[in-house]
Amino acid sequence: MSIFHLIFVEYLLKLNIPEWLIFMLWQIIYFIFISLLMILAVLFLVLFERKYLAFFTRRKGPNRVGLYGCLQTVADGIKILFKENIMPKNADKFIYFVAPIIVFAPILTVYSLIPFSSDINSYKSDIGILLFMAILSLPIAGVLFAGYSSRNKYSLIGGMRSCIQAISSEIPIFLTLAGIVILTGSMNLSEIVKAQHSFSQWNIFPSILGFIIFFICSLITLNRIPFDFPEAESELVAGYNSEYSGMKFAMFFLGEYALTFIFSAYAATLFLGGYNSPFGFYIADLFDLTLITGEIIRNIEQFFWLILKTFFLILIIMWIRAAYPRFKTEKALELCWYIFIPLAIFNLFVLCIVQYFRGSL
Amino acid sequence: MIKSFIYPIKELIKGLLTVLKNGFKEKVTLEYPEKKKVLNNNFRGKIKYDKTKCIKCKICQKVCPAKGTIEINETFKIDYSQCIFCANCVEFCPKGALTITKEYELATNNKNELIFNEGIN
Repeated sequence: MSIFHLIFVEYLLKLNIPEWLIFMLWQIIYFIFISLLMILAVLFLVLFERKYLAFFTRRKGPNRVGLYGCLQTVADGIKILFKENIMPKNADKFIYFVAPIIVFAPILTVYSLIPFSSDINSYKSDIGILLFMAILSLPIAGVLFAGYSSRNKYSLIGGMRSCIQAISSEIPIFLTLAGIVILTGSMNLSEIVKAQHSFSQWNIFPSILGFIIFFICSLITLNRIPFDFPEAESELVAGYNSEYSGMKFAMFFLGEYALTFIFSAYAATLFLGGYNSPFGFYIADLFDLTLITGEIIRNIEQFFWLILKTFFLILIIMWIRAAYPRFKTEKALELCWYIFIPLAIFNLFVLCIVQYFRGSL
Repeated sequence: MIKSFIYPIKELIKGLLTVLKNGFKEKVTLEYPEKKKVLNNNFRGKIKYDKTKCIKCKICQKVCPAKGTIEINETFKIDYSQCIFCANCVEFCPKGALTITKEYELATNNKNELIFNEGIN
């Protein structure tokens, strides 16, 4: 039970509020926190990506709206809200309407599984790792629905490609995740983070190969460049979302960036020590603080460390985007099936040996 | 075998570093209305007419490749919607009444604003 929860319950019980209502309010607070975090992350990421790509291509990026263009995404968002919703005449109307929601809702759900700090974790599931990947296979269905219901060949091919690459990248990802489970002996994400409490115990050190495989496969799952075949502009117009406009398009767009953020946070949680400080101790512990303020400040610091690690990974993802051209579809699938699956199994084998010697020490 | 495996990885890292190196070079973006391009000395822009030097010989009207751009009757009329900024008129003017300036921001919403009439002595 987190200290925030205790303070909250104690305060509300004094006001004679029934216990079931307190429980519900606590969940609502988590929901608001997660939604805010996601929206802020997406707003920042879109602007950040544009600025960062501009840095690599010797441009200045958006710099007209707000100070150094800081309000550009807000302006774009307002523009997209007022756009007309155009539906193709022959579209399968119900599926067409539902597809963006199927893409967006699981991504929002998955935010609740990540331990952002030792106390900010809305759902401590015992099968966190599995649940994360299981929920994240739902958006693929949404993408396929979007491609099918648009009644457009480009959309359909885009949706199918997205589906193919998601399936082929998920197998190496699951094999590397099995390696993590072997190392930490738990599927619970907060247990995994607790097991990596010091820098030398981060999972990336025994499982560096697994991290590389996970990282590249997550690029394939996220449809990021160099694996963005579902949205290959030169071949498929805009892929599965080419018939979508206005708010529905915005949902796909938001979903993509939210997924980038949460996948980086997931990778940071599994391999880079999650919310743990890289020094082995928290800066907040150096000062003499009372129990409650100390706890609050330590949580904020843990949150800061996780966000820092997440952004480190996002920086690499965007750097790769700036550098490489697009792969061929079949080459990427070959990469998954012929190279990554054997490598992931080899990685699993290595981790078993590592764990055997760790246990004997 | 190992060499064929290492080579692509080396190349990929080289690509990343090349892109990164580019980032620290000077930016090529020009924020146009605030900052303007430094123009070459040979730049040909709007033409300036000096009515005190003009002798009304109409040579400029004859040498103009875009016919009808310059018309000299009661006034010196130049139509920038047709002008190709070749500066032939400036070259051929015997008295040096026409000179070239570096002004190039002539865009308007109304085409008639591009026709300039100036009186002749």
